[in-house]
Amino acid sequence: MANHEPYDAVIVGSGAGGGMAAWVLASKGLRVLMLEAGRHYDPQKEAPMFSVARDAPLRGVGTPDKPFGYYDAAVDGGWQVPGEPYSSAPGSEFMWWRSRMLGGRTNHWARNSFRMGPYDFKPHERDGHGVDWPISYDDLAPYYDKTEAIVGVYGRNSGLENHPDSAPGVLHEPPAPRIGELLIQAACNDLDIPCVPARRAILTRPIGKRAPCFYATPCGRGCTIGAAFQTPTSLLPMALATGNLTVVTNAMVYELRLDEYGKAEGVNFIDKTTGKQEAASGRTVVLAASAGETARIMLNSRSNLFPDGAGNSSGQVGRNLMDTVGAAMTAQFPLLENRPSYNEDGAMGLHLYIPFWLYKEQARGELDFPRGYHYELGSIGRREPGLNLGGVASFAGTYGRTLKEDMRRYYGSFLSFICRGEMIPNAGSYCEIDPETKDRWGIPTLRFHFKWSENELRMVQHFQKATSEIIERMGGKMQGNILPAQQSISRGGEIIHEVGTARMGDDPASSVTNQYGQSWDIDNLFLADGSVFASKAHKNPTLTILALAWRGSDYLADQLMSRSL
Amino acid sequence: MTTGQTKRVHVDRRTTIKWLAATMVAANTGCSSNSRYLGDEIPAAPKPANSLLGVAARPDNIGYGTDPDLINPVVPWSRTMTEAQLSTSAALCDMILPADDHSPAASAVGVPDFIDEWVSAPYAQQQHDREIILAGLEWLEQESRRRFGSAFPSANDDQAVELLDGIAYPDQAAVELASLVEFFDRFRYLTVGAYYTTEVGIADIGYIGNVPIVGSYPGPSAAAMAHLAGVLEELGLALPS
Repeated sequence: MANHEPYDAVIVGSGAGGGMAAWVLASKGLRVLMLEAGRHYDPQKEAPMFSVARDAPLRGVGTPDKPFGYYDAAVDGGWQVPGEPYSSAPGSEFMWWRSRMLGGRTNHWARNSFRMGPYDFKPHERDGHGVDWPISYDDLAPYYDKTEAIVGVYGRNSGLENHPDSAPGVLHEPPAPRIGELLIQAACNDLDIPCVPARRAILTRPIGKRAPCFYATPCGRGCTIGAAFQTPTSLLPMALATGNLTVVTNAMVYELRLDEYGKAEGVNFIDKTTGKQEAASGRTVVLAASAGETARIMLNSRSNLFPDGAGNSSGQVGRNLMDTVGAAMTAQFPLLENRPSYNEDGAMGLHLYIPFWLYKEQARGELDFPRGYHYELGSIGRREPGLNLGGVASFAGTYGRTLKEDMRRYYGSFLSFICRGEMIPNAGSYCEIDPETKDRWGIPTLRFHFKWSENELRMVQHFQKATSEIIERMGGKMQGNILPAQQSISRGGEIIHEVGTARMGDDPASSVTNQYGQSWDIDNLFLADGSVFASKAHKNPTLTILALAWRGSDYLADQLMSRSL
Repeated sequence: MTTGQTKRVHVDRRTTIKWLAATMVAANTGCSSNSRYLGDEIPAAPKPANSLLGVAARPDNIGYGTDPDLINPVVPWSRTMTEAQLSTSAALCDMILPADDHSPAASAVGVPDFIDEWVSAPYAQQQHDREIILAGLEWLEQESRRRFGSAFPSANDDQAVELLDGIAYPDQAAVELASLVEFFDRFRYLTVGAYYTTEVGIADIGYIGNVPIVGSYPGPSAAAMAHLAGVLEELGLALPS
């Protein structure tokens, strides 16, 4: 790279955390360099809106090349990235999703945007497990409001315990529920289980040039109209419009540059287009490369001062790896057979969801697991047929003209219930540098250790029992047997919510950063991604990553401007 | 269409089942590999001593990669099935989804070509299915000739039903035919998925959508809400306010 002039901030990564940090810092007049390991990506040119399954190879189903399907907005993305391996320790299995593109995983995420609540920031105080955050909900609440206003989130204030309301006027009107969701809601009302409008980062009113949702075409393909939040159509163009942001793609950062006093001078990276090593200089460095990649960069940055990796005097870098607890159950509902057709696409994902509802029972010691889970109710009903409609045929179990009649009858009579639960950090779940392996760029790779504890397994059992009751109340027939929790629970990393590898805290001995994501050891190094999570509430992490990145960037800017850094 | 009659297997089918079982074992071994492709190990079609449908070409080892053109999709690998395999596939998928008053038969909308695209793809899942499907098609052909003295595509409906009823119903099928039951279910899965993603299939099944809506999402139609009201009444549930 020609320009070696030190920037005010060098940001690594262009996803949720990096995008937010870039916009906040550039808006304040700071000169920002963003390095993205993947290629440039423009949803307006590349998102295959309205493309149909029959036009894609293999009807668009997932393959090792495109695990979430042909049209998924993931470039060189998936559980395996060509030339960039990782490993799992013997007896462990961890799946690590990466997307090598501008905007990272914000291009295809489900857009589910649930706030963490007061209990979620003080989990240890509540139940004695894990650790507390150095901040409370009240510290982050204003940033949640600001973030939701910029991102655009549909939902409704439901006033539920540990599910905070947004400030008035922030949320966008949620879309009307579909038939299947109304039926679930009716059953839940009867069972005293809340079923309320979901919160998703999808506009239902315009924000600047971003248009409201037009209720068609899957969000995971990217959104040319900007309704579904992703950084290449929102924070990045906003940051670029300040004139203070420079973006360099195909820049694979592999280490921090550290001076003899232990300050960060910038980063070293591989220019993937030439294969050459390059350097970038900054007064501050912001790592927002994802929980795994940020830990990898820190652990690979060794010096005399930091023999165990930069910023790792606590030994906590790579530790406390968490993912969301995932499980799912599907049922067929005879009463929904042959129901009238209407356009059930809606905002593609969930319109309603079931938040965790058993806090009082839990506080009274009536549950056999700590923490909570919620239900996602998306991808159900009379949705656009894909190859998996063949599963309806297997259900019908016949062939010939009868099968055609059965297809019309059963299509739209299935509903799925998806569990998203909280994992408590455990000593057996972490990542470290694999001493054996380097990637195609010569960068040492990560090795993952992962295990679920009894807490998560008992949570899945509870979900199975609760779901069975809901399905029964709806007159449904469970598809498949209920398997033991050990077999039903998702694999580590599978839900793609990995967080916690450089947690924030109050004590430098047991945490990697302070409450602003500022490294305890290197005061001009900030972390702005999921690595800083001290716990992993069942709420999907992206909204919290965005809010924390904003808060940390405000602090960084204040420190820079007051010349404290 | 279906006779409901279960045809039990005769002992003299054992030979056919034996070679079929052998290919199933091979297929399962291939699938257990975690490699992105089967690499140089992509197997040729199963080759029974007296193959009637011919031997499918060896698949290209070319996937579409991790950054394909999403706006202008192409299938980069060649089709590999023989004309005879395609012809048997067409007859079978039309038994699964024949023409009726609503929509045409599966072969009329390109389902056999999709089967060919599928079994010719280099990925592990498709290579696994390839073994099952090519072996199953060969069995259908052999069995049709043996029982009726005619090729499967020339068999009349009653004859085809007699053959298929033996492998279409897992609860009733003979234990030795387990791998053929798997073949039928897999072939049906692909046929149905391919069919209902075509324009006529989508129209037949009544999917409405993939069109932009101006303004708010309207939610369920009056007819859909009326139907739901009946469902809720039957369940003793109240419509959510």
